[in-house]
Amino acid sequence: MQSSIERKQLIKKGAEASLFYGKWFNKEVIFKHRIAKQYRIPQLDNEIRTLRTINEAKALIKVKEYGLNVPVVYEIDTQKALIIMEYIVGEKLKDLMDTLKESDKLNYFRKVGEFIAQLHLNGQTHGDITTSNVLITPNKHVFLIDFGLHEYSDTIEDKSVDLHLFKRVLISSHGNDYLSCYHAFIERYKTIYKNNNSQKLCSSILKNIKVIESRGRYIKKSERL
Amino acid sequence: MTKFALGIESTAHTFGVGIVNFDGTILSKVNDIYIPKEGGIHPVMVKEQHLNNFRLTIEKALIEAKLTINQISLIAFSQSPGLGPVLKIGALVARLLSQKLHIPLIGVNHCIAHVEIGRLLCDIEDPLTLYVSGGNTIVSAFESGAYQIFGETLDLAIGNMLDSFARDANIPHPGGPKIERLALDASKYIPLPYVVKGMDLSFSGLYTAAKRLLNSKKFNTIYTLSDIAYSLQENSFAMLTEVTERALAHTEKKEVLLTGGVAANKRLQEMIASICQEHNARFEVVPLKYAGDNGAMIAWTGVLRYLSEGSHTIKNTIIKPKERMDNITIPWRN
Repeated sequence: MQSSIERKQLIKKGAEASLFYGKWFNKEVIFKHRIAKQYRIPQLDNEIRTLRTINEAKALIKVKEYGLNVPVVYEIDTQKALIIMEYIVGEKLKDLMDTLKESDKLNYFRKVGEFIAQLHLNGQTHGDITTSNVLITPNKHVFLIDFGLHEYSDTIEDKSVDLHLFKRVLISSHGNDYLSCYHAFIERYKTIYKNNNSQKLCSSILKNIKVIESRGRYIKKSERL
Repeated sequence: MTKFALGIESTAHTFGVGIVNFDGTILSKVNDIYIPKEGGIHPVMVKEQHLNNFRLTIEKALIEAKLTINQISLIAFSQSPGLGPVLKIGALVARLLSQKLHIPLIGVNHCIAHVEIGRLLCDIEDPLTLYVSGGNTIVSAFESGAYQIFGETLDLAIGNMLDSFARDANIPHPGGPKIERLALDASKYIPLPYVVKGMDLSFSGLYTAAKRLLNSKKFNTIYTLSDIAYSLQENSFAMLTEVTERALAHTEKKEVLLTGGVAANKRLQEMIASICQEHNARFEVVPLKYAGDNGAMIAWTGVLRYLSEGSHTIKNTIIKPKERMDNITIPWRN
């Protein structure tokens, strides 16, 4: 009998994990395998991989409960640091940046803003928001992936760090689009907070981004807070 | 006729003078390094030493290059970033030479110079660079006209962290190489904080945790100084390697350059080499003579900038102790 779980070809070798395409009871799935890192000593490596696998699986399940677009988790194996999850047909936002129409592009950033605001309002952070971790499906749905650094947190600081890291990625990877895209993202983020009657919290989070920036290295005294 | 540039490095404990020709051949490199008798690097003490020794260092560099000062046609100096009082000495000497000899003057960013000397010596085109030293911890690559910073430390630089720990453990300066040797005799790993935020790092919690181990009752009974040194290295270098790998996957660069004083560490080299193999990227370590601070890298970067945008006026040579490398345009790579 043919096995109902089948791992086929490698489709992406990321920094964090290798992604394999496969079948799971006739469903198209991704095998996200956090393969042992040769550079880390096993004691440290096992701990990090197990922790992040559990962390990611829990996060994906939780986030799905809020109706946000993330892959469905089908199975996890903490020993192997493996998650079997839904296969999302789509492209990374990063790869579409140069070809998208301006209006579509801004719309996607608004959707990411909405996503992150809902995550934050529910006391969670993504931990690694980048344009590589946003998938756009052919139906123009926005999916967030890669929840390995996800955290449960209700502090303003952690939410500001989340936004600050995204801002940094936009500056370094998409310098020309940074201003318009970040603006679209953050305006929608604010709107969601406003609809939730949490404007005050939102402005504290945004203000704290400036505090984080002022703590950075090589900041002129005049720009410090 | 061959033209020669003299570069002055003066951002921290090294007063370095290097001479290169405009084609990128290095003719000399002389360093005068301040070594504290105790404690860390005190900017005023460093300044004093540089002020006393700059003349001799320049003369040595000229002798090594078999040139006279009148054969130099460009003066370059480290304008940013670094310790203010120390940067001022380099700038002062550079302005003086330029005025006296009636030759052009150019200020360069120290971090960019580290990348450029690596590209020259390793014959590498477009690398992702991990720059690790006493003052800096930066993962950078060239994107949209500048050396963008993809990841950096949020608090201590890796070399600073290792040196500080070494001081707490009564290991004399410089602590890094001694920690590397101690780590070889370790018998166990002690879990320590591992802090990675996206592609950024934080070493301050790790430093405090390691320092606490020194004052614990278990020190020298259950674990040794070698064990702490080993755990500190394994932990912090794994963090560095992880963010470098993340940046490599994100930027999809095909080459990785390791530079800065901490690049001398064999264990770190081994770890970075491992991810390069995983991602089919070429791995190069800047030859150790030029990985640490030196004047040759300043001279060479000065040549690149001078050839693409001409010389700086005296007014434009004000030191910028806080300038970030990602705020500077790189005309020679466009």
